[in-house]
Order: sequence, then C-alpha cells, then structure tokens
Amino acid sequence: MVRPLITFSFLRPIAGLQKNIPLMRGMKMTTENQTFTEKFDLLGCIQCGRCTGGCPVTVRTNLNVRRFVYDAYNEELLDELSRVAEIWDCTACHTCAVRCPKGLKPLEVLIGLRSLVVESGKTQPTVRDALESVFREGNPWEKPRATRSDWMEGLDVPIAQPDEPVENLFFVCCTIAYDPRVQIIAQNMVRLLNNAGVDYAFLGEDESCCGSEVFTLGEEGLFEMIIEDNTELLNAYQAERIVALSPHCFTTFKTRYPDLNKPVIHYAELLDELLEQGKLAFKSGLSKKIVFHDPCYLGKQSGVFDEPRRLLKAVEGVDLLEFERARERSLCCEGGGGKMWVESESKKERLAETRIKDAHALGADVVAVACPFCVLTLEDAVKALGYEEEMRVAEIMELLGELDIEQEKTNSA
Amino acid sequence: MKIFTCIKYVPDTSEAEVKLNPEGTAVDSSRFSFDINDADNYAVEESVLIKEKQGGSVTVVSIGPKQSEVMIRMAMAKGCDNAIRIEDERIAAHDPLMVARVIAGAIKGQDFDLVLTGCMANDYGQAVTGVALAEILGVPHAAYVKKVEIEDGKVKAHRELEGGLMEVVELTIPAVLTIQTGINEPRYAPIRGIREAQKKELKVVNLDDLGVAAGDVDADASQIILEKLYIPEVESKAEIIEGDPDEKAEKLASILVKGGLV
Amino acid sequence: MGNVLVLAEHRQGELRDITFEMLALAPSVAGALGGEVMVLLIGSGVDKMAEKIASYGLKVLVVDDPLFADYNSDKYQKVLSAVIDDYKPKLVMLGQTAQGVDLAPALAVEKKLPFVADIIGLDVEDGVLKATRQIYSGKVNAQIAFKPADTCLVTVREAAFEAPEPAGQGAVEKIDSPLKEDLDYRKFVEYIEAEVGDVDITQSEILVGIGRGLKEDKNLPVAEELAQVMKADLCGSRAACDAGWLPPDRQVGTSGKTVKPKLYLCMGISGAFQHVAGIKGAKTIVAINKDPNAPIFAVAHYAIIDDLHKVVPKLTEKLKELKG
Repeated sequence: MVRPLITFSFLRPIAGLQKNIPLMRGMKMTTENQTFTEKFDLLGCIQCGRCTGGCPVTVRTNLNVRRFVYDAYNEELLDELSRVAEIWDCTACHTCAVRCPKGLKPLEVLIGLRSLVVESGKTQPTVRDALESVFREGNPWEKPRATRSDWMEGLDVPIAQPDEPVENLFFVCCTIAYDPRVQIIAQNMVRLLNNAGVDYAFLGEDESCCGSEVFTLGEEGLFEMIIEDNTELLNAYQAERIVALSPHCFTTFKTRYPDLNKPVIHYAELLDELLEQGKLAFKSGLSKKIVFHDPCYLGKQSGVFDEPRRLLKAVEGVDLLEFERARERSLCCEGGGGKMWVESESKKERLAETRIKDAHALGADVVAVACPFCVLTLEDAVKALGYEEEMRVAEIMELLGELDIEQEKTNSA
Repeated sequence: MKIFTCIKYVPDTSEAEVKLNPEGTAVDSSRFSFDINDADNYAVEESVLIKEKQGGSVTVVSIGPKQSEVMIRMAMAKGCDNAIRIEDERIAAHDPLMVARVIAGAIKGQDFDLVLTGCMANDYGQAVTGVALAEILGVPHAAYVKKVEIEDGKVKAHRELEGGLMEVVELTIPAVLTIQTGINEPRYAPIRGIREAQKKELKVVNLDDLGVAAGDVDADASQIILEKLYIPEVESKAEIIEGDPDEKAEKLASILVKGGLV
Repeated sequence: MGNVLVLAEHRQGELRDITFEMLALAPSVAGALGGEVMVLLIGSGVDKMAEKIASYGLKVLVVDDPLFADYNSDKYQKVLSAVIDDYKPKLVMLGQTAQGVDLAPALAVEKKLPFVADIIGLDVEDGVLKATRQIYSGKVNAQIAFKPADTCLVTVREAAFEAPEPAGQGAVEKIDSPLKEDLDYRKFVEYIEAEVGDVDITQSEILVGIGRGLKEDKNLPVAEELAQVMKADLCGSRAACDAGWLPPDRQVGTSGKTVKPKLYLCMGISGAFQHVAGIKGAKTIVAINKDPNAPIFAVAHYAIIDDLHKVVPKLTEKLKELKG
C-alpha cells in the first residue's frame, strides 16, 4: 500500500520564489543581488554592544554577537565566520533584538551565517536529519506524518474541515504532538475545552511543522517552502483565529507569516479570556509555591506576560513567586534556536540549571512554564541537580489537568 | 568516471508497528515514513565524492513509485547529474535477482566505470541486488565496502568483515561496489538545491522502454514464490525480569549468555 | 538424491562459527530430501580444518591449493560452480556473512539457481523447499517457496542456529582445483585490523549506556566493569556526557550519535525521546531503571525495574561466572 502523495510545493512551478512577499526587515528573502550587509542592515549597527551585553549565553560560551555583526560586513570573511562554532550557540531568545536601540536583529546575522553552512550541505548530522525530517515528514523528530495525531487516542477531538466554520483552530506543534513527555499539554487542553464547551477544532494529520526551528537552523529555502504551504493550508479554513499550543509556533506565525488571513494567539490568551468570561473556573485548588518561567518566545518576543500569571493565580492555594529575572529579562532555557539538535561545546553550567537553582533558592515547589522546550530543558536541569524530590517542572496545562481530575473526583464523591 | 548509483525508497519501520493486510500477502505501509535506504544514502555521497575528485558524472537509478522522486531530487541536489526512475508493476519485487536484472537493463549498453549500490536495504535486508547486478553486467564486484581508493584504472575496495576487520581487494574497472553505512558522512540537500535540481533530467521508464522483457523479470520468471507474511510471535512489550535484585541479575545474565547476546 | 552442500567458512586459519551453525540445519534438510550433507572446504593447507569438519560425521570435499591462500569470492565462485556441476546437490548453503554476501548472489546468477538469502528456517513440505526469513528489521517473517529446480541456494543467518556437537567420523575427499591460474580482475591485497583505542560507538556491536541514574562519577566503575565483561563499549545519555562521566563522542541521542549495536544495555537512563531516537537501530535493548514508568521500557526487549546499584554489580559477577 502506498500512502497518498503529500504535496510539496517545490514540485509545483517555482511560483513562490518569484512572488514578492513583503517580509519583515532582516527576514527579507534572499535575492540574487542582495548582499549580506543589505539583507541584515549591517550598516545600521552602531556597535553599542547592548546585544552582547544582554546575551544570556555569554556566561557559557565565547559568543560575541556584536563582533559578528561587525565582521560580517566584510563579505570575504563570511565563509570563515560561518565555520566558527559559536554561531551555533545562539538560542534565538531575541534578547539582542529586544534591546537593540536601532531595531536590528543581531541574532539573524548568526542565522544568516548558519544558512551558509546549510546551503553548503555540510551541516552537523543531527541538524541534517532534523531538517530532512521536516522536509519529508513535516516534523523535526523523524516521525511519520501519519502518526502526528496519535496523541489523540482515546480523546474526543473535533477535526477541522475547510468548509465548516470554527472559532478556535488549534495548532499543536511537532514536539507536543510526538514527544510523549509533553503530549499531555494537548491532551489536557482537549479535556478542558470539552468541559468548557469551547468551539474549537484541531488540524489532525494535515498539520505540519511551523518552521520555527527550521528558520533558526538557517534553512531559508525550506522555511520559505513551509511558510508557503502552511499559509495555503491555514488560510483554507474558516476559523476566526488560530490558537497555538507552543510559543514557538505562536511567535513564528505572528511574525514570519505575512500572508496569514487570521490572527494567531497563544493558548494562555484563550484561557485567560475564558476565565474572564466565567467559562473557566477551578473548583479545587493547589497548595503549592509556583514560580512562572517566562518562555522567550511567549514573553520577550510576543509580549504575553500577564495571561499565564493570571491563570495560575486563579487557582486557589497557589502562592505565585517571581524570579528576580522575570518578564522581559527572563533567562533563556536554551531550548530554542535549534539547540535541540546542536550541543554547545561549552562545559559550563547550562542556563537551565542556573534557572532551576534560582527557583530552588526561592523555595518553589513547581516551576511552571508554557512551552514544551522549556519543560524538557528545565526538567533535565532538575534531574542534573538532583532536585527531583523537592521540586518539579510542569507545563501550565499539566497543572490545570490535575485540577480537572481533582474536580471530577470531588463531584463523584 | 561515469558512475551509476542505485537507490531504493524504503519505509522506516524501526519504531513503527508493522501490520499486515488480512491476506498476509503485504505490509500495510500507510503509517510509515519513507526515505532513501540508509546504505544507499552513503552510496550517493560516495559517488558524489568520487565525482568531485575524479570528474565525470553520476546517474541515479531507482525502481519505485512517483513519490520516490523526492528522494531522487535530493540525490541530484547533492550532486548527481541525472536519473532514471523505473516504474513497472510487472517486476517481481520480492526477488532481488529479478530486480538486479531490471537495473542491469537500465545500465547495459552504456559506458560506465563504477556502479554503486547500498549493501543492503532496510526493508527486505537481503544484501543481494548489488552483487547479482555485477554478475549480470559481467564485471567484478566487492560487497560491504567501507573505503574506496581509485588509482591507475583500478579500484581498491576495503570490505568490512565481521569484527571490524577490513579485507582490501583490488578490482579492475568497470566494477560494482556495494557500499556499507558509515563510509562517509552524507551531506544535507538544502531545499534551494532541490529546487535547482528540478532542472536536471529525470527519465521515467517502464520495462518496455528499457527493452527488458517482462517475462524475464516477472513473478513467473522468478524461481521463488513469496507464499505468506506473518508477524512472528515476539513480545510486543519488554519482558520484565522479576525477583529480588540478585535473582534479576542472575536471570538477565543467563538470558544474555544463552541468547548469544554477549 | 537430494544432497545438501555446505560451504565451510574460515578466515585467517580458523573455521568460523557459521560453518558449524549450518551443520545444525543441513542434516534435517538433507534427510527430508533423501540425501546427505557434504561440506565443501576451499583453502590452502587446510588439512586440520577438514579433519575437524569430518569429526561431525560428514563427508568433506576439499580443494586445497595455494591459489586459495586468501579468500576471494570470484575464485570461490569458480570452484562452487564446478562442484555443483559435478555433484549436483539439491541445495547449496552458505553463510549470510561478509563472505557469503560477496559470493552467493553472483553464484545464483551464474548458475541460474533459485536463491533466498539470510534465512532463519528451512523446511521441506511435499518435496518443496520452504525458507523462512525476516523482513522489516525482524518485525515480519516471510515464507518463501522454491520453484522446482535441480539446485537451490540459500544463505543462512549467523547465530540463527546452535552449532551441534561433533559426532562420528566422516571422509575427506580431495578434489582438483578447477581454477588453474590467478584471476586478474580481482586480487586480494591485505587484511587491515580494526584500530584499537579510539572507539566509534556508531560501529559498536555491544554498548552499555549510562544515564543520570548512575548518580555520580565515582560509580562509573560499576558500568565499566560490566562493559568489560560484556566486551562492550560505554556510551551515555546527554546527562552522563554533560556530567563529564564520558567524553562527548560517547553521547547517544538526537544531539549525539545514532547507534546500531546488536545489544544495548542501559542503566539509569529514563529514555527521553531524544535519547531513544538515537538507539532505534539497536537490535536488542535491555533496560535497568528503578522507575517503572520510564519510557525506556516502552522500547526495551528486557526490563529490570530496580536500582541499578543493586542489580548491576551482581550481573557483572554472574556474567563472569557464566562466561568462564
């Protein structure tokens, strides 16, 4: 038996390449005659150093992003710069971009250098395999496209149909769909939505990688193809908005998909809205000291700071703590920027461990996050530090799921 | 160097649950991902490396469905120059000797210096096609090749034997080499390269186009019959070894030794 | 007469195990075909090997000639071809080994023999030979029947059969080499021994994997001693390599290496998805972990749910005993 052919836009006439898509500054599509300097507006840089000053990975590695922005101006140096290991240390947290007084995105210079490596074909095997998997199977985890919805087993999940209007169209994320550790984010969301009577649907097996990590790994051509395919797919549905479960998909859709015809929100925003409308109430409580870790792609990149906090505060008994480095200053967990496939050469303490030590010092029982990558990196850090008995890392949907269960127990008792 | 590189589009079943159709005659592959066969991927890289060093051209040969063109374009993006995709339902795909005849039909009559194949396919795991192909083409061969050196019109092939021992053989050219995984590090085919490779020639042919008589390569021509497939009775989940810690250790030790695992 | 001809495999003066493993299968097939087993031994100065094979009560055909001082598939093929013509065996059996794989397919083509490779079983039903082999990395078995032919060919999977004990005394028959001069198109050059020292875990046959559950580096000998007894190489999860217990090139997983050992025994590894992705090529996985819900158990073939510190030292001890 042969499965139906998935449509690769590249097998169609190369229309996308000629289309003049108005992309954001610094993300402008490579055209034959655009130089590296023009593409990243290198001349706009005043070498103030705020980028490197704010860069969280400088405590672990020798990455000096300001220096790269400076050196990349010399076209003859580009090849050599692309071979410097540090370009792979960037986690794409965007602190440099947030702080740049000239509105540049220094991290994209590093991604541009990564692109040179990718275009040459000489990527690390782990990166190669992840990118090939996205190309073939629509996810970076080397899993079959056909098993993308396996997490739904045993759940009543409405699947979106192009001709059926729906209010909330959910976008799961590859990691949540395939990694058994974080599938619970989607599973608990379905249970919660069914309880709250929300009008929603999931994409099912038609969903395909948003390209967030493809972009940061420097595969520009593949990212262009993904944007084109996903825009066509998502625009075909009569949904009022798209709700992303992962901040990476959320921010990527918001900032790098210029032709999407509907707004994109993160699930924390949806649940906050339901709380306000009185459609969501937690009858049981959770007597825990919880500290919320702002995911870079949710907080500093997209400005969603208050919604997750309001959700946690709405749970009775929760003592919500704050990190010293919170909100815009939140410390990156090093899960983004393609770092799931590239190990840093640094042997110094991981930022996730620094973060967990901070949480431990605060006396937190739970480090709550709203991102699958943060779950994975921070949980590793808890294990590495041997804090398993004292504290845990939990995605907000995991915590809310535990409430629901308690609530049901109370009702049936 | 004129090189032909033979590749196969295979399902990845390493993690997937495998189910059969009710008749037990075919595997339901609807939930598998498909990709270039592992060893063939290394063969593609090796052929491109040889071309980069020696000059020449690389032609991809593959028997497979339309979907496999993605794989072929990826090979072209890596540096292969053109391709022949053979699609014909009459080929007895269960018999590698028939498959070798079809591939020979695509190569015969053309000049070539080397034919590279993967040493074994992930799906059927027979390790037959490449060596059979050499015999049909009437040229020398070496199987399980982990290193290739070309000098003075001869090829030195390092064959990987059991236990990591290498057997170095010298073959006259033209020759067929079946490539072992790990011989190189396959490069990435960037999507822009794949788009670019759309311009390269990909010929789609059937047996008639190749001048291969169907009666020579079909199920009747094959001397073997695939009678049935069945799922062997193995524990789908782990066998849990019970007892106190000492008993568990003892039981496991005996499993490992008796099972010939250590 | 339905004789079975087994090709003896040897390298660097030693008969290889596969030779004897085939002797476990050949007699029953020969019996069902109403014939006997003959073993073909090709080499130079192979009297001792011939005697050893004869001690299994079997007839040994020996081609002993300096031209066969080193293995060469093409030369072997010429001998096999002539012996098949002369002795007309109903079935020819080779090992699915680096030798057999380099030889059998060409022989099948040359002599137009029906051929099934890498079999794990062979039966005769109503005079028809039926082979069993595995496909899809062992997840599916295929039963393949041979159409009627004068001679059929199989290659037998290594370690699929247990070698029998010697029994009786067979005859050794020397036959003339059909090959009179060396071949010019394929020459043996040399053997190159595997490099010692640097371990490439992607090539390891047996791996012992360690994870966070090892707790601290002073426990490393627990794993090292087991690995030594098992003749295994050590590898680890990201956590183990991060902790500096193992060098980075021993890391297994999406950000490390993908390995494909025959046996992977891991301890204190929970089996994060990112690690499991790196061991999907492992044939047999043994997991020791105290967490019954550790995802590693979903992919393991054998599971011990217990504290590795209690189990592993005992396991090492037992293996030492059993392996003598």
